[in-house]
Amino acid sequence: MADQGGSNHGIARTSRTRTEEQRQKDLERIKDYRALEDQVRHHAAKNDYSPDVFALTSKLLRLNPEYYTVWNVRRRCLISGLLSKPSPGSSPSKALPTSSPTATTTTSSADFSSSLSTETPPALESQTTGKSGTTAEDEDEEQKQQTRQQDQQNDQQILEKELHFTIPLLLESPKCYWIWSYRLWILKQVIERLPVPVARNIWEEELGLTSKMLLRDQRNFHAWGYRRHVVEQLESPELEGKSLVESEFEFTTKKISQNLSNFSAWHSRSKLIPRLLDERNANDEARKAFFEEELNKIGEAINVGPDDQSLWYYHQFLMLNLVNSAENPIIAPAFTQEERVAYLRREIESIQELLEDYDDAKLIYEALFDYTLYLCQLQERKPNEQEEKDLKGWLGNLKKLDPMRSGRWADLERDFGLKE
Amino acid sequence: MQPNPSKLPTHPPHHKTLKFSNMTQSFISLPQELQLATSAHVKYIQSLDSRKDEYDYWLTEHLRLNGLYWGLTALHLLGHPEALPRAETIDFVLSCQHENGGFGAAPGHDAHMLSTVSAVQILAMVDAFDDLETRGRGKAQVGKYIASLQNRQTGTFAGDEWGEEDTRFLYGAFNALSLLGLLHLVDVDKAVDHIAACANFDGGYGVSPGAESHSGQIFTCVAALTIAGRKDLIDVDRLGRWLSERQIAGGGLNGRPEKKEDVCYSWWVLSSLEMIGKTHWIDKEKLTNFILSSQDTDKGGISDRPGDMVDVWHTCFGIAGLSLLDYPGLEPVDEVYCMPKSTIKRVLGR
Repeated sequence: MADQGGSNHGIARTSRTRTEEQRQKDLERIKDYRALEDQVRHHAAKNDYSPDVFALTSKLLRLNPEYYTVWNVRRRCLISGLLSKPSPGSSPSKALPTSSPTATTTTSSADFSSSLSTETPPALESQTTGKSGTTAEDEDEEQKQQTRQQDQQNDQQILEKELHFTIPLLLESPKCYWIWSYRLWILKQVIERLPVPVARNIWEEELGLTSKMLLRDQRNFHAWGYRRHVVEQLESPELEGKSLVESEFEFTTKKISQNLSNFSAWHSRSKLIPRLLDERNANDEARKAFFEEELNKIGEAINVGPDDQSLWYYHQFLMLNLVNSAENPIIAPAFTQEERVAYLRREIESIQELLEDYDDAKLIYEALFDYTLYLCQLQERKPNEQEEKDLKGWLGNLKKLDPMRSGRWADLERDFGLKE
Repeated sequence: MQPNPSKLPTHPPHHKTLKFSNMTQSFISLPQELQLATSAHVKYIQSLDSRKDEYDYWLTEHLRLNGLYWGLTALHLLGHPEALPRAETIDFVLSCQHENGGFGAAPGHDAHMLSTVSAVQILAMVDAFDDLETRGRGKAQVGKYIASLQNRQTGTFAGDEWGEEDTRFLYGAFNALSLLGLLHLVDVDKAVDHIAACANFDGGYGVSPGAESHSGQIFTCVAALTIAGRKDLIDVDRLGRWLSERQIAGGGLNGRPEKKEDVCYSWWVLSSLEMIGKTHWIDKEKLTNFILSSQDTDKGGISDRPGDMVDVWHTCFGIAGLSLLDYPGLEPVDEVYCMPKSTIKRVLGR
C-alpha cells in the first residue's frame, strides 16, 4: 500500500529533512502533476474521451499508476472511440460505466476525430464482382464482413499497444492491484473483440508474462493469481482451449526445483493434483504411485531443509490425504486402512530418524506430534502408553524450543490429557 | 547514586526528550520507544492533511478517504476522537459521494467499494448517518451501490463497475452494509459459499479460489463469515495454528510463511486469532514490544518495522493491534470491524 509520507512534522522539522532547493523542486513537480490532473478531470467531466485525453492519461499513469480513476478514464477513451463500436447483432462490449461523477449518461456517441490507427482505412465500398447471381444482400453481408475485419485489426493494434503500455509500469510496481486489473480488463476485450486464434495467441503470451514476473519474485501472489486466471481462460471454450493442468503441474515442479522453499509453488501444486489425477484417468495403481512419488519428493526436500515451513506444510497436506479422505477424497481414496496406517508409521519413523541430525528443529517435533495423533485418529483409538510418553516428550521439546507459542502447547497438553 | 529498580515510575514520562545519557535514569525507567507515544501520534495524524507541499501527498490522493478512516480510527483508539474536526470530516466525506451512492477516494475520483466502505466507517465513527440522509444521497442509495457490485451467480463482489474481484471487497460490502442495516440487500449465502471456496487445507483463505493463504485475506474472510454468522465453517485449530506461526523471532507477525514481519499484520493476524479465540497462541508481550519499537516516538506515526518510514496505515493497524493486546490507555477495538467497540455498540446495539 502507498506510503502516506515521511516523517515531516510541523514547520520546524520540514526544513530538517528537505533543503529549500528540494522543496522548490517538489513544488514544481506538484504544479506539473496537478496541471496534468486538472486537464484530465476537465475533459472527463465533459464526457470528452478523445484521443488527446487518452494521451494525457498515458502521461499521468506513468507518474502515478495507482491513480485508479485515470485508468477508468483511459478505459472510457477506449470504449468511446478508439476501439470499434460493436455492430448490431454482435456481442456487446463490456458493461457501460454507471458512475460518472457528473453526468447521468456516460459514453458519448461516436463523434470523435479519427482513431489512433491511421493505417486502417475507413470502411470501403464493397467491390465484390465476379460472383454470378450476387444479390444486394450478399454485397451487404460482404461489406459487413470487411468492416468487421478492419475493426478487429484496429482493435488488435490498440489492445496490444495497451498491453505494451502496462509492462514497464508492472515491472516497476509488480504488486499494484490497479495495473494487474487493467491488464485483465484489456485481455477480456481481446476475447470479446478479436478472432479466437488471435485472442488465444495473446493470452498465451500473457502466460509467458506471469512466468517472467514469477522469476523476479516467486512469492508474488498477484502473479500467481493472475496466472491461474490466465490458465482458466486458456482452457475455456471461448478460446477453444484444452486442459493445461499437466503443464501447470510441470511449472510448479520447475519452480520448486529452482527454489525448494517456495510456499506459493507447493501450494499451487497441491491445488492442481485433484484435477491432474482425474484428467489422467488415474486408476488406483496410478494414484498410489503418484502419492508415493510426492512423498519421496517432499521427503528428500525435508532431509535437506528440516527448518523449512513450506515443506512441512506440503508434507502435512499429503498426510491429511491419508486421514481425511472420507471427506476430501483427493489423491488416493482407495487406500485401505492398512495402507494408510503403514504410510503414517513409515513417515513417523523416518521423521524420527531426522532427529538424530536435527534435534532442535521444532517443526520436526510438531510433525511427530501431529502425525502420531493422526494415526490414533485413523485407528479410532487413544494413544497407547509409549505413544503418550512420546507425545509428552515432543510437547516438552516444543515448549522449550518455541516458547512464543506456549499458549498453543498448553492447549494441546490440556486437550489431549498430556499434562505431566 | 545507586540504581534502584524498585523505584520504577508508575506512569510513563510525558516529556518528549527523555535523555539516556544518565545511566541511572535509563536503569529505572522504560526506554521511551517501548511506550506508546500518544501525543506524538495524535499530532502526526493531525498533520497529514497539511502536507500539501509534498509530492507524495498528491500522489496518494486515490487513498485520501481510506487514509482518513485509518487516521480517525487511530485517533479514536488513542482516546482523541476530537482531534480531527467533525464538521469538516463529514463535509469531506460527503463531497466524495457520487449520484449512484458510491464514494470515491477524494472529490473527482470514481466511486469504488474500498472508499465507499471507508466512508461508511467514518460516518459511523463520527455518528453522522443523519447527515448522510439529509445532506448526502442517503443510506439506501449507498446500500444499492454496494449491492450492485455483487455477482449474483458467484456471490463474489467487484470493486467497481470494471470488475476486479477480491475477497477484500466481499468483506467491505458486509462491513458497510451491516453498519447501514442493509445486509439483506445482498445474497449472503452465495457470498459465504464463495468464501468457503477460497479455503485452503492449511485452514487459511486466499484472494480467490485456488489462491494461497494470506493473512490479509484470512482477516477479510473470517470477518465476513463472522458478520454472516457462519464461523462454523472455519477450521479453527488448523487456522489458529497457521496464524500463530506468523510470529517470528523478532516478535512481529508476518503475512505468510517465509515473509518479513510487518506491523500491519499485527492487525490482520491478531484480529483473526481473536475472532477464533486463539489470541493466546502467540506471545503478546513480544508482539507489543515489536509494535512499540516500530514507532517514531519523536515525530509520531508507526512504520512497518523498526527503523522504517512511518505512514498512517501502519499507525492505524499498529494501534489497533495494541488495543487488541490490551495495551493500557487505549479504547477497545472491535476485531471484526477495526473500529472502536463503542461505535459498534452504538450503531449495532451490541
